Amino acid sequence: MNVITIDDLVKRRGSKEILAGISFQARPGRVTGFLGPNGAGKSSTLRILLGLDRATSGTALIDSVPFVQLRDPLATVGAMLDGSGAHRARTGRAHLRWVARSAGLHRARVDEVLEIVGLTNAASKRVGSYSLGMGRRLGLATALLGDPEILILDEPVNGLDPDGIRWIRTFLRERAASGRTVLLSSHLMGELAETVDDVVVINEGRVVADGTLDEVVGAHRTLEDAFFALTTSGAP
Amino acid sequence: MRALAAEAWKLASLPTVWIATAVGVLVPSVIAGITASATLGAITRGAGTVPGVDTGYQELAFGVVGAIILGVVGISSEYFTESEESGGGRQITTSLTVVPSRLRFLLTKISAIAIAAALLAIIAAATTMGVVRVVLGAHALTLGADDVPRLVGVVCYWVYTALLAFGITVLTRHGVIPLAVLIANTSVVTVTYLLTKITPLANYLPDMAGVRMFIRKLADNTVEISPLTGGLVMTAWVAVLLVIAAIAFTRRDA
Repeated sequence: MNVITIDDLVKRRGSKEILAGISFQARPGRVTGFLGPNGAGKSSTLRILLGLDRATSGTALIDSVPFVQLRDPLATVGAMLDGSGAHRARTGRAHLRWVARSAGLHRARVDEVLEIVGLTNAASKRVGSYSLGMGRRLGLATALLGDPEILILDEPVNGLDPDGIRWIRTFLRERAASGRTVLLSSHLMGELAETVDDVVVINEGRVVADGTLDEVVGAHRTLEDAFFALTTSGAP
Repeated sequence: MRALAAEAWKLASLPTVWIATAVGVLVPSVIAGITASATLGAITRGAGTVPGVDTGYQELAFGVVGAIILGVVGISSEYFTESEESGGGRQITTSLTVVPSRLRFLLTKISAIAIAAALLAIIAAATTMGVVRVVLGAHALTLGADDVPRLVGVVCYWVYTALLAFGITVLTRHGVIPLAVLIANTSVVTVTYLLTKITPLANYLPDMAGVRMFIRKLADNTVEISPLTGGLVMTAWVAVLLVIAAIAFTRRDA
């Protein structure tokens, strides 16, 4: 199945409302773009989905189960949040090895994912010496270790060079084409229009548009135009 | 077991853990070497002193700094934030997406740190006692059956101290303050020791009670606490702190 279902998610920190009732789905075989300006609540939603933060109310489920109850999380969901998610003093390979070990994956899988993301040559270098783009590649390699059915990526194109962006687009399209679920967040519209099938736009903790790419773009010229029309209040 | 193997590998692949190991082994053995050669000098001069009953053990009480570093970095490394240019990520997000159950993650971490601290204590105790014997030669007190519970006490003390440092760092989510405070308390400004001058109750603070497991004569201290009582008091402190840490860790946002 591999459906991600977010239902009426509310998150408050003190008196501040970060999410004000977010609902949407991400389906298998499709790339779902989760778009919004910085601070709109994208990362908070994804962190709640991954059990890192707690929702004030509402649910975020993976195949009708919360992430924390998954039997084999790494083989079900591959996640990439901020940066590399690795300690800077370790080498890229050492980082992937402990993740692999905790999921009972074979060492050879570490070299496979290094190859997939193009980090083989930097695998023996410490993560602290990586560029932003290399760190993101390591994060993606970590997400791919368990060859999961679902990918959840927070701002995956951030820090990647044009080559990297082109590569990740193709890569994610292929994942979706093979029937897997891809949910990615971004505040960059131009980069995404060619990658996503479905679009969820959020602003100030609320969903302002949800549909296929064509539906959301609607009468606007581009996804970017639609995005600004939806997220800029009082714009002409 | 897989998660424990991963945590052990995490510790082993962290350079600061090797610094902790070096500190834990070198500090007590070097101090023991210096003290023992001073004692030997006094004996050969005919000053008549014999090595004290706490020779080697005193030094191991200082060497626990290695266990403190281990306990702190074992968890502070999870919260270490990458620079803004590198994306500002933290390893804890990866750890909790691999082992989503907070309690299980924490228990695994505690086990890995306890095992590492025990190994470190065994190596440090063997090295320190070895140095004392090499330096003092025939003048060294022979290690007998009495020393077995004392050496077990050393290992317990190191494991508990590592876990105290760990528990405090789980709460602070940052290594610098617990590291500075705990190391200072063990070496330069022994606040807990000074407190015993003010109130005898301070003898029941975790470190003051814990050292009773293997130290027989505390300087200027008349309060009698048996090794077993000392050990139980420290166990209680560790248990309470770890429960508080677990409650905080499972409730708050990562």
